[in-house]
Amino acid sequence: MEVIRLDNVSLWRRTQEEFSYDLKKTLLSVFEGKYRQPAKKLVLDKINLVVKKGEKIGIIGANGSGKSTLLKIISGILQPTTGSVRVRGQIAPLIELGAGFDAEISVIDNILLYGVLLGFSRAEMQQRIQSILEFAELQDYTFVPVKGLSSGMVARLGFAIATDIQPDILILDEVLSVGDESFKNKCKQRIDNFWDANATVLVVSHDLSFVQQSCVRGIWLDHGQLRFMGNANETVDCYLKSLNKL
Amino acid sequence: MIISLKDNLTWLQVRRYWELLHVLVSRNLKVRYRGSFLGVYWSLLNPLIMTGLYTAIFGATFASYYGNSIMNYVLAAFTGLVVINFFSACTSQALSSVVGNGSLLNKIRLPVSVFPLSMIAANVFQFAVGTFPLLAVMTFLNSKSLANVLALIFPFLALVLVCTGIGFLVSALYVFFRDLPYFYELVVFVIWLSSPIFYPAAIVPKQVKPFLNLNPLSPIIESLRQITLSGSPPDLALIWGALLSGVIILTLGWTCFHLWRHQFMDLL
Repeated sequence: MEVIRLDNVSLWRRTQEEFSYDLKKTLLSVFEGKYRQPAKKLVLDKINLVVKKGEKIGIIGANGSGKSTLLKIISGILQPTTGSVRVRGQIAPLIELGAGFDAEISVIDNILLYGVLLGFSRAEMQQRIQSILEFAELQDYTFVPVKGLSSGMVARLGFAIATDIQPDILILDEVLSVGDESFKNKCKQRIDNFWDANATVLVVSHDLSFVQQSCVRGIWLDHGQLRFMGNANETVDCYLKSLNKL
Repeated sequence: MIISLKDNLTWLQVRRYWELLHVLVSRNLKVRYRGSFLGVYWSLLNPLIMTGLYTAIFGATFASYYGNSIMNYVLAAFTGLVVINFFSACTSQALSSVVGNGSLLNKIRLPVSVFPLSMIAANVFQFAVGTFPLLAVMTFLNSKSLANVLALIFPFLALVLVCTGIGFLVSALYVFFRDLPYFYELVVFVIWLSSPIFYPAAIVPKQVKPFLNLNPLSPIIESLRQITLSGSPPDLALIWGALLSGVIILTLGWTCFHLWRHQFMDLL
């Protein structure tokens, strides 16, 4: 059964140079007749991709080649300019843990907040609080505001919340282990459980040997184009060959 | 079958939206009142102090416009201040709400409109517990009629509509123009001075008056004062005027927000 299908997906985005924008400058440029439409850049170029249930896919490529953007398209954060995206099942994004935390409020309130942001109901989250605190080893900090935790503890909490569920589709963007050594092992175990539990996994990684070991299929993106798709080993070889040519 | 699935989906979306609103509002309130024992009642301090100040400075001069009663001036200034304070708090908090949560919007799929709305909702809650009871008591003492107390809901509803509309508009504009807060501060000041809060509307020259009517808060303040202070039954024409201005501004704000929100993600 296919869970993700991208048909001819292209995405145009405003370029980074346009990031200085204010009312004063815009008005001035309109008065001077120098106003121009913001420039746009092609970030993803006609991507076709079908992912079946349970597949583990590694996405590789140079920085800025559109790997994270592709994940954002699949998660529904970005809408494609042309083409269509279809996704079946719940997606758990595991991107930069702790982005949804508010440092001022307590750990327990943050668990509810983050959980609801990730798409669970409050009632569901209330039942999970204990297991999350336990996994993150933060039982003693239940009512402490998050700004009172060390950065490692915050990362632990983020990981514990985001992985406390069994999602249909797991999206990993370069975060595989956080915290100290003993916690890293716990993380790895949990990730391995996802791997075994027939979840569909999409990983963006620069760790090529990890992709070769853990993923079945590989995708190589280059300047927004799908350069190669196939067996993980072949994809990594192809990518490395092109690097050696330079 | 397909229809029932669709119904189910929209119901799920509504429930998710509601849950999001719930956690975001409770987050806003918790952050705001953590560690202050007066809690919500801090929000009353500002209009009370300002009313005292205005009364001390202008009270004696303007009392003749208020039936020679300083008390009437106090009440008129207070009702006006309550409205303008609510407006400026709501809209300036909504302004930064979309940009402030930009990194979050880049990581998790969320309905963008929930952020400005959660700011408005937090202020509504604060108003309902803090200021509203005081207004209700004032109204009841003045009019001796429960109908007036109940009618207070309508100008307040109109106020919420106006604030939501402006909140959507400025939160969307802020994504494109990051120097907007400076301009918006000026706009709030213009609205503040052009609403007859601490001066009687009668002192404004005839030529200037039509411009003051453009102020979306004027009909609301007028209706609120009529209900709270006049002692006569609520004037329906004033209420309709206030609600109409609310609906127009909300429609305008929401339309802009809706049309522009597809461009947000490239700039956050």
